Amino acid sequence: MSEPWWISAIKGFVIINIVLLTFAYTTLLERKALGRMQLRYGPNRAGPYGLLQPIADLVKLVRKESFFPTAAIDIPYILAPVVSAFTALAAFAVIPFGNGWNIWRYHVNGVVANVPISLILVFALGSIGIYGFIVGGWASESKYSLLGSMRTCAQLVSYEVSLALSVLGVVITAGSLSLVDIVHNQAHSLWYVVPQAVGFLVFLISGVAETSRAPFDLPEAEQELVAGYHTEYSGMRWGLFQMAEYVNMITLSGLAITLFLGGWHFPFAHGVDFLGPLWFFLKLLALLFVFIWLRATLPRLRYDQLMSFGWKILLPVATVNALITALVVVWAN
Amino acid sequence: MANVLVWTVWVIAAFSCLASGIAVVSFSNPFFSALALIGNLASLAVLYLLLSAEFVAAGQVLVYAGAVMVMFLFVTAYLGGRADAPWAGGPSWQQFGAVLAAGAILVEVIVVIGLKAGGRLSHEARIDSGFGSPHRIGRVFLTDHLLAFEITSIVLLVAAVGSVILGAHSRRSETTGELVHNEEARART
Repeated sequence: MSEPWWISAIKGFVIINIVLLTFAYTTLLERKALGRMQLRYGPNRAGPYGLLQPIADLVKLVRKESFFPTAAIDIPYILAPVVSAFTALAAFAVIPFGNGWNIWRYHVNGVVANVPISLILVFALGSIGIYGFIVGGWASESKYSLLGSMRTCAQLVSYEVSLALSVLGVVITAGSLSLVDIVHNQAHSLWYVVPQAVGFLVFLISGVAETSRAPFDLPEAEQELVAGYHTEYSGMRWGLFQMAEYVNMITLSGLAITLFLGGWHFPFAHGVDFLGPLWFFLKLLALLFVFIWLRATLPRLRYDQLMSFGWKILLPVATVNALITALVVVWAN
Repeated sequence: MANVLVWTVWVIAAFSCLASGIAVVSFSNPFFSALALIGNLASLAVLYLLLSAEFVAAGQVLVYAGAVMVMFLFVTAYLGGRADAPWAGGPSWQQFGAVLAAGAILVEVIVVIGLKAGGRLSHEARIDSGFGSPHRIGRVFLTDHLLAFEITSIVLLVAAVGSVILGAHSRRSETTGELVHNEEARART
């Protein structure tokens, strides 16, 4: 259903702020959870239970001197974190978070922008976001940065293929590229995580690799590369890169929920669907915790292991999964 | 109102398309040329959007501006020497010839469009709601354009196999020093 443009604008503003807030507190959750898993407390000084730590971090980052390497090429160097952060935030616009509500005279959709090809849009934005990492590393004019951005590039390109193939099964089953339709299709059937369990696993693994999280954090392996592509960045420019990574993780979790875990639906009951955003957020928190848990548990892969795992195991599995799904769907019809 | 918006977007997209196209050929640093080519492909995608071809636009960004150009950037960042000034240019006679050829092609395109479609450009094309949808495009791919589609897939497969063979060959010669030596000698003569 259509809605006036200003409702979409307000929703966009609210969603961006909620995503940014989630990002800020994901960093806190990560440090807290990692701390507990390593038998220490984590940040506990700023505010009660360390709850103001993200705010303190933000103030520190904004007030820090933005170091500018003399050899860096200025325009790409400045624009790179902007591109990454922009594409990361923009992708959340098409992820549905509710059924829609009638507020006063207006109907409010449960998604900022309902586009028929929203799934492809998310992937297209993701593929543009890679340029921020590559160009930033290249323009810093440092060997560590360049090596880091080369690693990022190779890893993201390799795992993007299996990521895209792993959602193909869901697209074939749902018969639509629209995320809103995909969520609606899961309302009265099994969530796609059951018939597409293999696809979900491949999606999750390549998603961890796409967001360069441990155990796939080779682009930022600090023992080898200092910090990878953002070695020469500091202050809020570095903060933008960090934000892009975390927001990518949040968007990816949101996408996983939408595609495989029933979106904003509550399991086995439809009476509470008006609380869609709440269920969505709880699922999001659970998935984010899985990401953090993986980081605390698994050691980093070697580079050749990463490449051979991506191309020789993940890609064939994703392809076979898509093929079998296609055959089953055609046969069932 | 909507018409003015469409025209504004069209003018911006068309001019950035032309500007980035000129930038691709005039930058001397290949990395900047590749970046300009990404801009060119992205502004083409905007033009596709104006033509109600959302799927093609998204595919253009995902496949060409995304996946393909990443490879270009990867290679140029690894190999390219960094000239700090993006503008340097080749010999002047090359530039002169290039401008001449581009002008000739432009005139040719304008003449052909004027002759073939002169009357039809003033009318708006009528399209239904399913136009440009993945469903419709898939149907056209597997019916009218099946042959071109399949031939393209074979060409791509051959290219992939070829690159694997080239890569495997060089790796083998790294391990056996004798072979490298012979090939180097052959390359020198």
